[in-house]
Amino acid sequence: MSTAAPDAAGLPDAPTPVSDAHAIVGKTPWQLFWGRFRQDRFALAGLGIIILLVLMAVFAPLFAALVGHGPNELFQRETTDIFGIPEGPTSSFWFGADNNGRDVFVRTIYGTRVSLMVGVLATAIAVVVGVVLGVIAGYFGGWIDTVISRITDIILSVPLLLFAIGIVAACSTSKEGCLYGTLKPGLSLVIVIISLFTWPYVTRLVRSNTLSLREREFVEASRSLGASDLRIMFKEILPNLVSPIIVYASLLIPSNILFEAYLSFLGLGVPDDTPSWGSMVSDSLQNFDVVWWLWLFPGLFLLVSVLAFNLLGDGLRDALDPRANRS
Amino acid sequence: MKRRWLTWSGIGVLAVLMALALAACGDDGDDAADTSGDDGGDDIAAVIEQLGGPVTFGEPAKGGTFRIANTDFAQSDGFDPTGEYFGSAWTIYNSLMLRTLVSYPFTAGSAGNELVADLATELPEPSADGLTWTFTLKDGVKFGPPVNRDVTSKDIAYAFQRIATPSVAAQYANYYQVIKGLPEFSAGEAKTISGIQTPDDKTITFTLTQPTGDFLFRLAMPATAPIPREVGKCYTQAAEYGRYVIASGPYMIDGSDKLDISSCGSQKPISGFNPNTGLYLVRNPNYDPATDDVEIRQSNPDRFEISVNTNLDNIFAQIERGELEGSFETPPNAVLRRYLQDPESRERLRVNSGDRIWFAYMNLTTPPFDDVHVRKAMNLVMDLEGVQRAWGGPVQGSIPTDVLPDTLMPELTADSYAPYQAAPFAGDVDAAKEEMKLSAYDTDKDGLCDAPACKGIVHLNRNFAPWSTQSPIIVQSAAQIGIELETREASRSAVNDASGKPGREIPLSSGNGWGKDYADPSTFMVLFDGRNILADGNTAFSLVGLTPAKAKEVGATIPASGPVPSVDADIDACNPLTGQERTDCWVALNKKITEEIVPWVPLMDATAIDLIGPAVTQYDMDQNGTEMALSRVAVDESLQK
Repeated sequence: MSTAAPDAAGLPDAPTPVSDAHAIVGKTPWQLFWGRFRQDRFALAGLGIIILLVLMAVFAPLFAALVGHGPNELFQRETTDIFGIPEGPTSSFWFGADNNGRDVFVRTIYGTRVSLMVGVLATAIAVVVGVVLGVIAGYFGGWIDTVISRITDIILSVPLLLFAIGIVAACSTSKEGCLYGTLKPGLSLVIVIISLFTWPYVTRLVRSNTLSLREREFVEASRSLGASDLRIMFKEILPNLVSPIIVYASLLIPSNILFEAYLSFLGLGVPDDTPSWGSMVSDSLQNFDVVWWLWLFPGLFLLVSVLAFNLLGDGLRDALDPRANRS
Repeated sequence: MKRRWLTWSGIGVLAVLMALALAACGDDGDDAADTSGDDGGDDIAAVIEQLGGPVTFGEPAKGGTFRIANTDFAQSDGFDPTGEYFGSAWTIYNSLMLRTLVSYPFTAGSAGNELVADLATELPEPSADGLTWTFTLKDGVKFGPPVNRDVTSKDIAYAFQRIATPSVAAQYANYYQVIKGLPEFSAGEAKTISGIQTPDDKTITFTLTQPTGDFLFRLAMPATAPIPREVGKCYTQAAEYGRYVIASGPYMIDGSDKLDISSCGSQKPISGFNPNTGLYLVRNPNYDPATDDVEIRQSNPDRFEISVNTNLDNIFAQIERGELEGSFETPPNAVLRRYLQDPESRERLRVNSGDRIWFAYMNLTTPPFDDVHVRKAMNLVMDLEGVQRAWGGPVQGSIPTDVLPDTLMPELTADSYAPYQAAPFAGDVDAAKEEMKLSAYDTDKDGLCDAPACKGIVHLNRNFAPWSTQSPIIVQSAAQIGIELETREASRSAVNDASGKPGREIPLSSGNGWGKDYADPSTFMVLFDGRNILADGNTAFSLVGLTPAKAKEVGATIPASGPVPSVDADIDACNPLTGQERTDCWVALNKKITEEIVPWVPLMDATAIDLIGPAVTQYDMDQNGTEMALSRVAVDESLQK
């Protein structure tokens, strides 16, 4: 007569057998993350809105074709009165027209492209630069840390808006742009300016985490096995920083979207033929109380997109670092 | 606890925004509905026509306080009359505070640009050779407190010494370089200006180095007003004297009588003027109306308050409520529309010529604008009606057809002179293409600019309305003849800075304008005088008359296509003339510049707009300063709030 599990019975450290119904199933970090993330309905809503915004940005020309107005097509005679004041929402101009008779709906949809592009690209540049410098500063310490840390201090102490005004003025008012023609006004300049002022925050975050991680046993183990500094930094330490970096990046994107809107609002952002929510809102300034549609619709899109990214970032933080105190 | 506050705060903001939008819809629903594009432009033009010139409401009376607010008191030289170059300051000086040898009637239209004697007993004639001008001063004109003495010819001579003192930064000192010995005084080579003689307290003689037909106009500028040396000597740096200005006109800065002039060290800024808060003027007790034309300087209010309010909308709301009488600022288009569409209140809106022109200048050294056919094609294709509408329509200005405002060149108004387009001035694409075919930049002669130089042309402009609103119109117009513009927008100061540096090689800029210094075309001709081209601070933007030597000096390049045309000799031929001869000369030169040189696309012949409050019982416009004629206004205190 046989008994259950004769092989395992002879092993002193074997786990206690359990029935199939109560088996403990190992979960990957991704499964753990997703399990927590999907319970956050607000974060899921944020993700859904972002997906919608991405689709709008990608298919903006389809929206333009749908209403039959290009983003820079002028309908001045049809949509503005003798005082140059445009008409509000109608059946052909769903969000009304702007001061030049351009379709606010189409320009708002196209504005999604600028906001997402600036938000994502500027954040990506800031993260790459910030992570590299942060890991180097935290890992090596000493004079390297001092130099990098002081540079971040200097950048963070520069009055951001004044600098932006200066650099845009310098690059806008000569034929060749600035820095020997490498920087010209437009989207790339806005992305460079925003990245320039956001990487130090990432550097500080990564440096402080690296300072702690470099003292951990697994780093000691790698070092004792003869791993190079480069390998320790980017193969051992960096993977442990992925969670805070993702969380920070997701919160940096909305902040950069707003930054772009500020610059464009002040006339320092993208050129007028590239629709931007910030510059669209600024078009309403002269007759704010009459042409409400000029600020309302781009303003709403700006608000919703920033809110969506913030909700997503909040959800990511909860899911990636459940021990953190959120109260 | 998760951060749900973020969500709820977002929802809250959304709700507030929606509520605001609904409120906006409710308040202005009628306005929005009226913007159909069926504009009745002719009617509006007729209405605007009726809103020019003076107006009275009831019986104007003496007394009361006339209250004005502006978004800042950003004068160009700290309100020092020697250097101050802003029209609003000139109006305050000329109408209220300072008297000059000759002045203006402070009224609207061409009559307001005619000269009248002020400190002088009469308008003199020059000597036979046109080089000597002698003036006799009126008796009984005194400085206000604390100086309290007669104005003498030496006080005027002293004002000229200040003009010639570089540290005081007289911004239009160039107008006085024709006075014999003044350049030498400026250079420190002479202790007096040999061309200004004061044989007695009542006589002053100017000797010039060349006949100057508009010299009297130059003597009406505020920098030439007498300054008491006992106060002025303490302030020899730019902008310093602005807080110590001693009156010679009917009003003085409130608190002037408290100024201790026993020594320079004892003087403290007069309490009634602070650039951050405003300027307060009260009657000058030493002013004798018998020495003046009381029809011109009626001096009705007892007090003027010119305060600072950074909120433009609030300024005009206060004017409408009767809490202010006016502003030097231009009302927003929505306010203009509301007044113009309301027959009951529209008379409170006053629209006069601004004697100012806004233009898109083309750089004659930069391809493709080094080709006159391209420049002509730009003038032909430009949708000027669209630009006008982008500015706010006819109320903001008329469509110019030459390089001078209509009030300075009434012989060439759009009705009688339109060399490029005909009404409605919406761009003549076919004619522009025909012109473009004559250009070397149209290689296949299809009417489109197709050379590489036609693509990616930098178009500089200001980054705020109405300039930013006109950009798409200009870009779209140029694109119809193959010229692809790359608009770059920047602040007003950045545009001025870049436009003023020929070395930047800005090919096209539509963020520039020019207003008259006085009512003579010569004040616009400086923009086309090759000798005025500077490496920095240049206002001869198109570089008309640039010579190889000057190009080297200012960092510009003579184009490979050939020399830059010049009108220097034409300007020199007109300048000494007077009367009808002078007018005819300027008319001919204006046509030559407009049709043969073609340095600009003139965009707007701008108006000067005043919204006056319900307590104003009399209004006129000072055409010289292109602001409200403060010497003629009156207010009814019982209607003020």
